[in-house]
Amino acid sequence: MLIQVLQSALEPMVLLYMALGVAAGICIGALPGLTATMGVALLLPLTFGMDAESGILMLLGIYVGAIYGGSISAILLHTPGTPASAATAIDGYEFSKRGEAGRALGISTISSYIGGLVSVLCLWLISPQLAKLALKFSSAEFFLLAFFGLCIIANISGKDMEKGLICGLLGILVATIGIDSVTSYIRFSHNVNLLSGVPYIPVMIGLFAMSQGFESIETIYDKDEVNCKVTKILPHKEDWKVILRTAPITGLIGTFIGIIPGAGADIGSFVGYNTARSLSKTPEEFGKGSPEAVAASEGGNNGVTGGAMIPMLTLGVPGDAVAAIMIGALTIQGLTPGPMLFQNNKVLVYTIFFGMFIANTFMLLMGLSCIRLFTKVLSVPKTVLTPIIFVLCVIGSFAMRNNLFDVGVMLVSGIVGYLLSKIKVPTSPAILGLILGPMAEKNFRTALLKSGGSVNVFFNTPICWFFLILIFITLFGKHIKGFFLSFNKQKG
Amino acid sequence: MKKFLKRTIGIALSMTLVASLAACGTKASDANADAGSQEPAAVDFSKESVTAIVPYDAGGGTDTVMRALADAAKGSFKNITVENRSGAGGATGMLAGANAAADGKTITMTTVELTTLEAMGTNAGLTYSQFKPIMMVNSAASAITVKADDTRFNTLEDVLEYSKSNGFQMGNSGNGAIWHLAAAGLAKAADTQFTHVGYDGAAGAITDLLGGHIDGVAVSYAEVANYVASGDLKVLAVLSDNRLEAIPDVPTAKESGYDVVLGTWRGLAVPAATPQEVVDELYRIFSEAAQSEDFVTFMNNSNNVIEIMDGPSYEARMAKDLETYTALIEDLGLKVQ
Repeated sequence: MLIQVLQSALEPMVLLYMALGVAAGICIGALPGLTATMGVALLLPLTFGMDAESGILMLLGIYVGAIYGGSISAILLHTPGTPASAATAIDGYEFSKRGEAGRALGISTISSYIGGLVSVLCLWLISPQLAKLALKFSSAEFFLLAFFGLCIIANISGKDMEKGLICGLLGILVATIGIDSVTSYIRFSHNVNLLSGVPYIPVMIGLFAMSQGFESIETIYDKDEVNCKVTKILPHKEDWKVILRTAPITGLIGTFIGIIPGAGADIGSFVGYNTARSLSKTPEEFGKGSPEAVAASEGGNNGVTGGAMIPMLTLGVPGDAVAAIMIGALTIQGLTPGPMLFQNNKVLVYTIFFGMFIANTFMLLMGLSCIRLFTKVLSVPKTVLTPIIFVLCVIGSFAMRNNLFDVGVMLVSGIVGYLLSKIKVPTSPAILGLILGPMAEKNFRTALLKSGGSVNVFFNTPICWFFLILIFITLFGKHIKGFFLSFNKQKG
Repeated sequence: MKKFLKRTIGIALSMTLVASLAACGTKASDANADAGSQEPAAVDFSKESVTAIVPYDAGGGTDTVMRALADAAKGSFKNITVENRSGAGGATGMLAGANAAADGKTITMTTVELTTLEAMGTNAGLTYSQFKPIMMVNSAASAITVKADDTRFNTLEDVLEYSKSNGFQMGNSGNGAIWHLAAAGLAKAADTQFTHVGYDGAAGAITDLLGGHIDGVAVSYAEVANYVASGDLKVLAVLSDNRLEAIPDVPTAKESGYDVVLGTWRGLAVPAATPQEVVDELYRIFSEAAQSEDFVTFMNNSNNVIEIMDGPSYEARMAKDLETYTALIEDLGLKVQ
C-alpha cells in the first residue's frame, strides 16, 4: 500500500496541482479579505473535472498556503490577510517597524511549517483516536472554549487593561446585532444587510488595514528611514531556539482546536498566542515584536489545517469551514467522508495524509525563497503603497459577499480603528469579541436549553473542567504566582 | 441605439469589474468582448452572459447544486457566472435577484427560505410573488433520525410517545430554519412537543447527535446518509409523500397516520416582470440541463433528489408552503413583530 500511496502522491501532475494550489493559496491568503475558505470554495469547481487525488490535494494546497499567506501581509502591512493571522499582526508588524521584516517572515514561515508538520503527524498517526474527541464537544464545552478565548483579551491588551476590555466588550456588543439565533428576535438591525449580523471580515480589514492606511497618510511624504535589507533568510540561532520551543506546542494546540468542529484557524492562532504567553519567560515582550509571539500564532494557525481534516476524514464531521467544503469536494467525486472512507479508500486517505506533508513542504520552500521578494513591498514609497492598500481594502471587503454594504462596514471600522489607535486603544480585542462573542452567547443559551436551565451542565464533563482550570490560570495565574513568590520571600 | 450601446457597455464593464473583483476561478473576462454588437433576440440566450445568484456562501449545498447545474447548462449561454450573495438567511441574495432587471439575464436560486423567511417576518420585504418561477430543481424531505444504538426508539411512534412524557431533544439546522419547522410540524400533527435545539447548519446538529448530546434530528436524508450507511444512525420515518428510493424500508409519517409532508426545495426564478417567452426558453434550457448525465450523476453522488417541477406547479408549491409555515410559526410563537 505504501508504494501505491507514494505513487499517487508523487505523480508529476498531482505535484504540479499541489504546487499551484499552494502558490495560489499564498496569494489568496496574503490579499486582505480573501480568506482560505473563500479560496477553496472558489477553486472548488476546478476540481470537478480532476480525479479525486489531484482535486483534494490541490484544495489542501490552497488551504495550507492561504493560512500561511495571511501572515505575510500581517507582518509587512499590519493587515492580516486572513482572520487566522490577526494574532500575528500584533507582533509581526513591530518587526517591520524595526526593519526586521525579513526576520519575522523567516520565523513565521518556519513556525507555520512546524505547526503544519505537527498536525500532519497527528492526522497520520492517531486520527481515529483523536476524532472521538470531536464528538465529546457539545454546547457547554463550546461555551467554555469561547469564554477561554475571550480571556485572551486580558493578555493582548498589554498595559492598558481597561482600554482592552472596553474594546473587547464593544466587539461583543457589535456582535449582538442581527437575528438572535435562539429566539429569532431581531436586534439592532434596521437594514436587511444587518439581519445576519455585522460581517467580521470587513470589520477586521477596516480596523487593521484601513486604519493603518489612514495613519500612513499622516507621514506619507516622509522618507522612510527603516532599513529593510534582508541579510539572512534563515533565522539566526536564538530565533531557532525560540521557534523550536514554541511552534511544536502551539502546533499541537492548533491541531486540537482544528479537531473541534466550529473552531477554525483564527481561534487556533489566538489560543496558541495566549498559551505561549502564559508559558513564556518574557511575557512582557508580547505585543512589542516578540519572536515567540509570531512563532506561537503561526504555529497555531497552521496546526489547525491538519486538525480540521481529522474529524472530516474519520467521522465526516467538518472541523472548520474549509473542511466543510472539502466534504463537498469529496462527495462530488463519489466518495463519502466518514468511517466508511477508511475502509473503502485506504489508499486515498493515506495519499491525503502524505499530500498534506508535501503541501507543507512546498509552502516552506516557496515561503523561504520569496522572503526577499515579499519584503520589497516595504521599499515601495508610501505614496504608492497607501492607495494600493485602500484599493485592496475595498476589493477585499466587497468580494466576501459581493455586497457594497460590507465596504461601508469596512470604512466605518477603518475610521473607528484610526480614532481608537489615536487614543492608544488596542483593536485586536474588538475582533476577538466579534468572533467569539456570538459563539459564547449561542452555546451558553443552547447548553441551558438542553439542560432545562440547570447551570450544572458547565461542570459536568472533564472537558468542562479542563477549560475551567485553563480560564482560572489565564485570569489569576499571575496573581497566584506573585502570591507564592512573595510568600517564599517572606519565609526566606 | 446609442443609449442601448452605452448601457450594454456599462453593464459589460461593470460585470467584468465585478468578476475581477470577486477574483473568482470562473473566467468572466470575455464578458465585454463584443458588447453591444447586436440586439438581443428575446429568446436566444446563446449570445448572452447570464448571472445566477446563489443566496448562500460558496461551497454550501445550494451553491454546489447551482454550480453543477450552471455547468450542465453552460452550452446554451455565451457565459454563465454563479455569484454568491449570502446574508440574512438568504434574504439578501434573493432580494437582489428579485430586484434585478427583468430580462432573464439574472437568474436566482430560490430556496424554501423564500417562504419561511416571510412566515417568520424576517424577510425584509421579500416575498415569493416578486419572482416568476422557472422550475423546481430538487427537493429533500425531513428524515426523523436517531442513534442506531438507541434502544428507546425503534419507530416513529416511540419518539412521539417518549416526547409526551419525557421531552425529546430534537436538533435542527437553526432556529426558524426549515428542519426546525419540519420537526415542529410533526409535533403539531402528533399533538406533542419537542425541545428544539438549534445549530448553525445541519452538520452541527448531526455531530451533537453522534456524540449523544441530543435525542434526534429532523434534517434531510442526504445529510445523514453517510452515518446511516456506517451504522451510526438510523432513520425512523421520512416526512414525504412517498418512501425514499434510497431507503425503501423506512415508512413515511403519512403511513403512521400523521399527514405531514415537510422539507426543503430549490429552484430557479427570475423577476416577476420577466416576459413569459424568456421564462419558457430558460425552462427549456435548464430542464434539459437538469436531465443531463453529468448533473444526474452529480446529484446522485451528493445524495440530492432531483425533482423537476414546471413554473406554475412550483409557484403553487410556494403558495401552499407559505400558508403551512405561517400557521406553524404562529403556533410556535416564532413570528418576529
